[in-house]
Amino acid sequence: MDFNWDDAQRGFRAQVREFLAANLPRDWEALAHGPGSESQSAFSKQFCARLAAAGLLVPHWPARWGGRDADPWTAFILAEEMWEAGEPRGGQYMNVNWIGPTLMRHGNAQQQERYIPPMARGETIWCQGFSEPEAGSDLASLRTRAEKHGDVYRINGQKIWTSYAGHADTCFLLARTSAGKGGISIFLLPMTTPGIIVRQIPSIIGEGDIHEVFFDNVEVPASALLGEEGQAWDIARTALSLERVGIPRFAMAARMLHRAVGMLKRAGRFGQGAIEQAAKARAACEAARFYSYGIVDQRRHGIATGAEASAARYATVMAERQVAEFVVEQVPEALAGGDAMLQAHHQRAIVAGIASGAAEIQLNLIATELLKLPREPR
Amino acid sequence: MDFRLTSDQEALVAAVDKLAQRFELKPTEFHGLALAGTELERELEDGSYFDIAAVPELGPLAAAMAVERLARLPYTVECALSMLVRPQLAGDLPRPFAVVEHGRPGRFVAGAKTLLLVDGERVSVAHPAAADVEAVDSLYAYPMGRVKGALASTALSAAEAAAIRTWLRIALAAEMSGLLQAAIASAVDHITQRKQFGRPLGTFQALRHRMAECAVLAGGVRWLALKAAGTGTDGDAALAAMHAQESATRIVYDTHQMLAAMGMTLEHPLHLWTYRAKALLSEQGGRGGQASAVAQHCFAAD
Repeated sequence: MDFNWDDAQRGFRAQVREFLAANLPRDWEALAHGPGSESQSAFSKQFCARLAAAGLLVPHWPARWGGRDADPWTAFILAEEMWEAGEPRGGQYMNVNWIGPTLMRHGNAQQQERYIPPMARGETIWCQGFSEPEAGSDLASLRTRAEKHGDVYRINGQKIWTSYAGHADTCFLLARTSAGKGGISIFLLPMTTPGIIVRQIPSIIGEGDIHEVFFDNVEVPASALLGEEGQAWDIARTALSLERVGIPRFAMAARMLHRAVGMLKRAGRFGQGAIEQAAKARAACEAARFYSYGIVDQRRHGIATGAEASAARYATVMAERQVAEFVVEQVPEALAGGDAMLQAHHQRAIVAGIASGAAEIQLNLIATELLKLPREPR
Repeated sequence: MDFRLTSDQEALVAAVDKLAQRFELKPTEFHGLALAGTELERELEDGSYFDIAAVPELGPLAAAMAVERLARLPYTVECALSMLVRPQLAGDLPRPFAVVEHGRPGRFVAGAKTLLLVDGERVSVAHPAAADVEAVDSLYAYPMGRVKGALASTALSAAEAAAIRTWLRIALAAEMSGLLQAAIASAVDHITQRKQFGRPLGTFQALRHRMAECAVLAGGVRWLALKAAGTGTDGDAALAAMHAQESATRIVYDTHQMLAAMGMTLEHPLHLWTYRAKALLSEQGGRGGQASAVAQHCFAAD
């Protein structure tokens, strides 16, 4: 057991930091940080193209798809540095983390050739069409239907809380092809297809982050089906497990905590109360970091990840909350025009326990799979 | 980073586990507050387990794993200080070790051959005679004792004292990690067996979620304790002790709440872990002390 970075890992982190220093504009922190905003989406296409050119967009992907087969640590160090810097990749982090790898595993040759190279070049944005008004945590009850008519599927229904939908080129869509949990399928749906209406939902998270998406007799060729009909649950499980520790929120939380402490120190306000609150939050960030590292290490050694990923996610939720509360309580001026990045962090922190699945679902998984508690009656 | 155990660490963990299994159950006739593991201590001594950290292939990280495993037992033995702090001091000082903070009663003080006297940032070392110390009754599930009067002691240099305080924090975190895991396991066992309203308590989501949150906290304590033992840095030690004490306040309360009246009995072993955790809550200055150390070592550059 070794808690030290090796030379290659240290070198890679330094390389990413150098890239960020050279490629983030001087006014980066003051830019609109709504992760799905028009300015962020446009910026991410330039930025990700430069990352790709530097070999830093998808280093962990196979060489066949533009990567260099780097190990999971490389991918995670990259993710830590990006998130800590305010995630200049915008919504494209999803392509890198799970949409690309999911297509590599489950897509056919035609789908892979069409969709993976633009992701590897950093020039495309996806959204995930999962949640519906009546299907949030209970995703299996989703109602959007895809009916086969000859060579096409006709899609009708509605999605909600869809991140990045306003600027997405393609949707990773879950729709029902028959009744029951086994009747859900995945479609790769170009967002320019007639019959799709996207409506932004104003939110406290930031501009352009969440949307309603309506599907009114949207027709897609049968070739848009990913895998087989009814395979969505298996494919989505792969995708969600990749996503669960996909966002190193603790990294930005820790950085923002240090920034807030610096502001307090300079103002002569870092007294014992603030010190204790900051220390607890800092420890929570570190615990979340090593929980996540534990998952990365399992992946590195080919060990199947179980509910430990849920524990890592929940530890991150706890850390994110403590930092957000610290800032509100100790440095309230930061959220009133005092610091754009602290404000951007605070806007995102509230979704930590909600995005990519309610944290309470993770607690259920931990109770059943890690603690081996008897299941709830249904 | 590589979290696989080396073959030496694996062998050590397996050996400690095998030894520990014989002491897994509280004797049914025992109804006390502190269950001293005299036989366990003899076996650890005979097997040279207290010197694990000095073995190059094992080191403090393996010692921390041993401390954590042994803390999960209902029996208590002075092992954390001997395994993790003693190797930081020059000379082969006699064990058992104990710490006296600000002259207060401390764990294992009455039987200690080496005392670390901690007063703020100063640390001195004393070797008490039997007449210098005495046992005290307490609510804690450790044998507690105190120093009766002034003791001849040798002050450590500022650098040595700082290193000792760091390793005291690591020892605290490793021991707390094991205690919290055992308390959670005990509560989980209870709510799996105990039925109310026609079904096991553990099927009620209100309880499942509380225990899952406790498990996440305890897992975090474990990661930070092992990391601190692996790196030995002041900052990692402060974070580990901070998270250990912070998490323990919640986990001690919640595990007792799961067991309700059963957890109040001396027949049930829960208190053998939770009332040890309570004793650790005040050490090294408690959370305020850990916070000051975190500020000193982790926020200095901000």
